[in-house]
Amino acid sequence: MTSFNDTRHLWALGAFLAAVGLVGMVVRREMVPDDFGTKGPYRASALDDIAARPSLFQADATCHACHESVEHERAGKPHEAVRCAHCHGLAVDHVALARRGAEDPTVTLPPAAEWDGDFLTKADLYISKDRATCLSCHEAVVGMPADFKKIDVAVHLEEQGASEPLSRETCFECHGGHDTAP
Amino acid sequence: MSLFELPILSTLGPAAAGGCASGGCGTGGCGTAPAERTSESSRREFLKTATTLTLGAMSLTLLPGVTAGDDTLPLPPHGGDGHGPAAKPMYGFLIDTTKCIGAGKCLTACRVENAVPDGQSRTWVERYVHYKDGRVEVDLVPETGYAESGEVQPAAEDVLRAYFVPKLCNQCVDAPCNQVCPVHASIKSPEGIELVDTDRCIGCGYCVQACPYGIRFMNHDTGVADKCNWCYHRVMRNEQPACVEACPTGARVFGRVDDPDSEISKRLATVPTNVLKQHLGTLPLTRYVGLTDEVT
Repeated sequence: MTSFNDTRHLWALGAFLAAVGLVGMVVRREMVPDDFGTKGPYRASALDDIAARPSLFQADATCHACHESVEHERAGKPHEAVRCAHCHGLAVDHVALARRGAEDPTVTLPPAAEWDGDFLTKADLYISKDRATCLSCHEAVVGMPADFKKIDVAVHLEEQGASEPLSRETCFECHGGHDTAP
Repeated sequence: MSLFELPILSTLGPAAAGGCASGGCGTGGCGTAPAERTSESSRREFLKTATTLTLGAMSLTLLPGVTAGDDTLPLPPHGGDGHGPAAKPMYGFLIDTTKCIGAGKCLTACRVENAVPDGQSRTWVERYVHYKDGRVEVDLVPETGYAESGEVQPAAEDVLRAYFVPKLCNQCVDAPCNQVCPVHASIKSPEGIELVDTDRCIGCGYCVQACPYGIRFMNHDTGVADKCNWCYHRVMRNEQPACVEACPTGARVFGRVDDPDSEISKRLATVPTNVLKQHLGTLPLTRYVGLTDEVT
């Protein structure tokens, strides 16, 4: 075997590989988040980011904290399971204002608005005294459980001897709000 | 030494044991110098032994009743007859299809809570209508319920039976969507809830294709993957997910399954439940009451 004396090529190759490795390490350091892999194969702080989202849909307990009389009115009634938000909106602003008002007496709460026909209305408190509110659950639709109270509006009104024309608030002419009779 | 004295190979025959076993090497092709005879023959001995052991081990796996691995499968979450990795989930979701009235309250609540764009949804409610003539039709409950939606309803006299099936993320223990993410933006949280790291997601959409339940979607507003995460932010504050909070009939039950006193634990202990597409082995945590074969 002839002796290998052209070592310059080996040094060049070694330097090239070292440079590639160095660049790779720098790139990896820049690209991979610091907390990656501390809890699992993901960015650990993402858990906190997602958990920090605000809770928008208020539980009834939030409303009942102030509106105790309504809680008593609804307790044990068939519509206890209907959420406040279904007829009054998410009322996020209302709750935030009320919390501020509890500490600062100068803060006044505006009255509830008229329902604009959109259940998605996010911020405002509203009162949807509209038959759509009732019928979104109670209109007789194929597929409902047999024991659920179903209403066919035309038949129901005829039974009750109601007169035409129908107003949008027709349900509330007989049925109460919070104390809705069955 | 004769290879066929070994009990394992006696069942295989000469062909399986390789050409050398029949003594063919002595006739030609193995022309080695006498000086190297010893090392050459020991190498041949080694090859013979190695081949024998390998084939013998392989033949063992063909025998009935003998498996290479551990055949004691761990129990799936919540019992049942599933298979796969053992898991001790913290949270569970129970859907009672016999209670759903198709009001769509859960849909609105979810959209608002999670800022889901119009036309997309993290959860939906399917209605299965079995007609008396044998047809089965499936449609989606409108977000405001069927009332005044203008949709033509099936005539009640034509319908044999009908029911609503809410769908949401199954939070699979062995989640296919999690496995395909190339940038680790799919997170299986320590609580067992599948999340999307929207900061890391590059919007490639692999996870959308990987989910066998069609739960994931590309959010039109953000351009990255989005999915039901059981309202992780609410759950971390000990609140119920928005859809559960909004349901007026208790068709959606959420809670700690590691707490035997929670409502969901009691329900799971008393009511027979199913999961969707159990044959896929994804081990869903969302369980259903009253699931029929038509629902997939």
